[in-house]
Amino acid sequence: MQKFNKILIANRGEIAIRIMRTCREMGISTVAVFSDADRTSMHVRYADEAYHIGPSTSSESYLNADKIIDVAKKTKADAIHPGYGFLSENAGFAQKCADNGIKFIGPSPQVINQMGNKIQARLTMIAAGVPVVPGTTESLKTEKDAVDTINKIGLPVMVKAAAGGGGKGMRLITSDKDIVSLVRSARSEAKSSFGNDSVYIEKYISSPHHIEFQILGDQHGNFIHLFERECSVQRRHQKMIEETPSPLMTPELRKKMGEYAVEAARTVNYEGAGTIEFLVDNDLNFYFLEMNTRLQVEHPITERITGIDLVKQQILIAEGHPLSITQDKLRQTGHAIECRIYAEDSDNNFMPNPGKIYNITQPLGLGVRSDGYVYEGYEIPIYYDSMISKLIVWAENRTEAIERMKRALYEYKITGVKTSIKFLERIMDTADFRSGNYDTNFIEKNKSTLLADTKCTPECEDMVIIAAYIEYLDRLNIAQTSKEMYTAQNRWKKYTYQKNFERL
Amino acid sequence: MSVEIKLDQRIASVEILKQYENLLEIKVDDRIYQVDLMHNDEGIFSILANGRSYNIELVPQPKPKLFTAYTLYHNYDIEVIDAESRYLRNRSGAVQLTSENTISSPMPGKVIKIPVKIGDEVKKGDTVITISAMKMESEYKSPIDGKVIKIFVSEGSTVDAHQKLIEIE
Repeated sequence: MQKFNKILIANRGEIAIRIMRTCREMGISTVAVFSDADRTSMHVRYADEAYHIGPSTSSESYLNADKIIDVAKKTKADAIHPGYGFLSENAGFAQKCADNGIKFIGPSPQVINQMGNKIQARLTMIAAGVPVVPGTTESLKTEKDAVDTINKIGLPVMVKAAAGGGGKGMRLITSDKDIVSLVRSARSEAKSSFGNDSVYIEKYISSPHHIEFQILGDQHGNFIHLFERECSVQRRHQKMIEETPSPLMTPELRKKMGEYAVEAARTVNYEGAGTIEFLVDNDLNFYFLEMNTRLQVEHPITERITGIDLVKQQILIAEGHPLSITQDKLRQTGHAIECRIYAEDSDNNFMPNPGKIYNITQPLGLGVRSDGYVYEGYEIPIYYDSMISKLIVWAENRTEAIERMKRALYEYKITGVKTSIKFLERIMDTADFRSGNYDTNFIEKNKSTLLADTKCTPECEDMVIIAAYIEYLDRLNIAQTSKEMYTAQNRWKKYTYQKNFERL
Repeated sequence: MSVEIKLDQRIASVEILKQYENLLEIKVDDRIYQVDLMHNDEGIFSILANGRSYNIELVPQPKPKLFTAYTLYHNYDIEVIDAESRYLRNRSGAVQLTSENTISSPMPGKVIKIPVKIGDEVKKGDTVITISAMKMESEYKSPIDGKVIKIFVSEGSTVDAHQKLIEIE
């Protein structure tokens, strides 16, 4: 059994910090890597060591496997944690780590290949007897192949990148005239996100629930699942809110899906933390969608209800420890919800809104966890994902968790960039969400209330005007800035001056 | 003539009537408020009015006298119109209008593709430029049938928010 003394985190932003936090608790020193745009990113400041690996574009930095391996060798790191995104599901990178005697924290390159390629994963699951979404079982390399296949399956269909994930390179096609343009844009996005433009086609299941199971497997053939996560609140096929337990779930269904999830992991002899994603329809039929061979963005809600640090489990498994938890000892305690805070303009089709953080106040208090990375004065780069933080709450039951999330969102204040906070708070007030009666069409269905154009009261508007006026007057006289609070400057001494000035 | 504040489309006149330290009597249009106001140099305001607690943050914009105001749930564009800006406005005559046929970027990003060149005829709705920001590609379409007369940026270059991209006539 190996003991890691130093881990390189081949990622950036909030997930890099999340991983380093656990490393710090385990007494493992941390190595950060960063691109040109990320010199001032918090993960660089948090780590024990930090090394520059290239230009801002991710293909030249965070996706540059050789450069990252060089840093790991130079710093004598025992292992590399890839986080999510970037190289986390790149079998070539996992292989390079192995070739250089560095432990890749995750499954073997063979398993990444087998499950990471969505088409192969479908074939594997079919062989293991797990139900899958109807569709193609081979990849479509050319535009013509894709269009022909769509015509054969019949609309509506989903086009998905074979190497995909995170909603990239994925398009829903509902009408004939869009086939060519949507296939083209899916392929172009797949190419730029994953360096591979092959796609596959799935029959589109309307209004499904997106429910996933967290699994853990060690090097000794032990497998467990850590229950489900309900991820149906999505916009642009990207998750926005996740919760566990799922309001849709019954104990029988949980048992059945959990057994399939463990079976899926066992079939490929999975090592580390992984996620089996399912689509579930309203009649509780479920279909395997894909397996993510990495830590998920939404892993904290599972941590919160099971009390298990998943990153710590990943590290212990990678060191060769057998799992110390057995399935029958696991309990779901209370209810956890995660909201993803994106730098985006909800009123403008969720357009990303990069920029400089002017002020930030993060929520605190009972049952609140905030996993973020931005700080005051930090400029969010245009090159990477627009998620700036994750807000996770836990409470005894679902109703209390929703109220707590509302309270936490009320406390969360970010100025300088537009964020999804207001939009998320409105979701907490939506009847369909509160009743737990929602599917992946939730945002589309509730659009009119979620995006309603409201104004603050006339008095509130007048207060904004007063604030702007005082700011303007005080700025006329201030050279230095401080964060101390003070009264509006007394300007009666300057009364005549002011009057003359206004008379101009 | 007092100072006016433009809040989105509304223009309000505002005047301080009395002040004792943090306590102000202040008139906004025809309403008079007694407020308790504290603030700091970073634009964070705490205002107590009629027993209510208001938290407002002002973020300065690149041009002086322009702010974005953040209340609990709303954002406002704020412009302070004082004697100086009034003077400048009068001197330069009518405010220069930006052409409605100029496509500009609503956010910072990187130019991925410009499928048109100067002189090309375009139809309303044709994609004239693709911008990528935060891994999202957005296609910008021509607002009119017309001809491309100016291209201000090139493929691969980075652009700022509100920067002019393409002009169509």
